[in-house]
Amino acid sequence: MSLLKESTREQQSKLAEYCKTGIVPELTGILEENLHHYRRLVFNIGIDTIETAYPITYRFLPDEVWDKLVYEFYAEHKCQTPQVWRMPLEFYEYCVEKDIQGKLNLPFLNDLLYFEWLELEVHTMDDIPYPSFDTEGDLLNNLLAINPEHKLVKFTYPVHILAATELEGKEGNYFLLMYREKESGKVQCMDVSILYAYILEQIQNGLTLHAVLTDADSLFQINNFEMLKEHAINFINDLKQRQFILGFLNA
Amino acid sequence: MQLKDNKHIGIGFRKDFSEELLDSTILKPAFIELAPENWIGMGGYWKKQLDKAAEKFPISCHGLSLSIGSPDDLDLDFLYKIKKFIKQYNVQIYSEHLSYAKCDNAHLYDLLPIPFRKDAVEHIIARIKQVQDILEMPLAIENVSYYTPVAAEMDEATFISEIVNGSGCNMLLDVNNVYVNSFNHNYNAKEFISKLPLNKVSYIHMAGHEQISDTVIIDTHGEAVIEKVFELFEYTTALLKPVPVLLERDFNIPELEELQTELTRMETIVSKTWKKEHVIA
Ligand SMILES: [Fe+2]
Repeated sequence: MSLLKESTREQQSKLAEYCKTGIVPELTGILEENLHHYRRLVFNIGIDTIETAYPITYRFLPDEVWDKLVYEFYAEHKCQTPQVWRMPLEFYEYCVEKDIQGKLNLPFLNDLLYFEWLELEVHTMDDIPYPSFDTEGDLLNNLLAINPEHKLVKFTYPVHILAATELEGKEGNYFLLMYREKESGKVQCMDVSILYAYILEQIQNGLTLHAVLTDADSLFQINNFEMLKEHAINFINDLKQRQFILGFLNA
Repeated sequence: MQLKDNKHIGIGFRKDFSEELLDSTILKPAFIELAPENWIGMGGYWKKQLDKAAEKFPISCHGLSLSIGSPDDLDLDFLYKIKKFIKQYNVQIYSEHLSYAKCDNAHLYDLLPIPFRKDAVEHIIARIKQVQDILEMPLAIENVSYYTPVAAEMDEATFISEIVNGSGCNMLLDVNNVYVNSFNHNYNAKEFISKLPLNKVSYIHMAGHEQISDTVIIDTHGEAVIEKVFELFEYTTALLKPVPVLLERDFNIPELEELQTELTRMETIVSKTWKKEHVIA
């Protein structure tokens, strides 16, 4: 049971609500001329955090649209994370839930925001243990070890390829591989076709390249295994050079 | 906390200058302080930086989001994450602000002033005890800067003292915050300090601020420490047993030489007032 009196709780609530909305409350015993500093300081932390996380969206949206969006987010949403650097994820989720892209008639907005969030997420996410692997092996028949610190995502708009101003009308199926380099911690992005996205996903699910290609050959109606194999091996070798494919999983 | 080279003055570990600090032969703090919120659950490049820092310096933790003065329940999941972090990095000092940052289930990521009231005192004492029980270590509570009181029924020094004495926690005395508040609320800083539970002070903060008008100073941590705050620091340290002292610099980061000059000046002050044979608790 709280030892706090209702009247004290109410004063605290009113001040907090004011910081969220900017609507001046009736508070007891305050220095009225100084109250606005709290709204300013709280709101600035929120704005800075969101603008730093979403620089592309921030520059793309007209100022008045952006300002209104951020204002409404801060006023309506109750931030749940105690870690302010994770708060931009809540901004993205808020935009999805409120269908901001529908309201602004910008059907690529969710993809764009998610792309920007992912860069932050992949850069900062908790370390994932690397699998034990060998550098020598059979590309087709041994299980491949991949960098576990990655995200493979599907977009409806090519937000990772084109500028925001060029996205209109480019609806389709786009796949992005984003991963973190082990030593430098740098985030790398790579656009992949639906076929290669499928291959990567199946390798991740524990299939050998040979098994994946056999499935893919019929699934994508390629019906030319040798050609598919040649392209896929080039792709996998490229990913080895980029240190995304690490080598061959130890049994 | 085992301080480096028998010195007392540490610096806030900020991402803005972490790389520079880790390679630096210029800036030589006795320890570093960081906000666990900014590092918990973070991997990759920043985790590597943190691990390097932990190899080089003792770490103290200064939290941001515990929200000890909140009407909301304590976030126990979060507290257990802090506990794990503290263990992992062998942190000996964990401090938090005497303010609230979360209310009605919404985090605000800033420090709001608690009403100086008896019921708030009781509420916070119970919460500090709960935190200390869970963490199995004392919490140090910091006097915060504030720009307006809210619904106060007692003065600030009484509010702080009753909480510290009633909960058995330690106090983080932020000398700059005392200065800022004494300016903004027109009271005598030295008199205020003399009313605090000085025997419970386990840690000191020093920082710069920005005066934005004739009547208002904002606690920005973005400027050099001013002369009057150094003077108040000298006065304050003479009243205290030796404790670690931390320079907070969060924005507008200058050359490391400049930061070291501030550390050196503080070290010179405390080496005069605190005799060498004192062992820091
Ligand atoms: Fe402080």
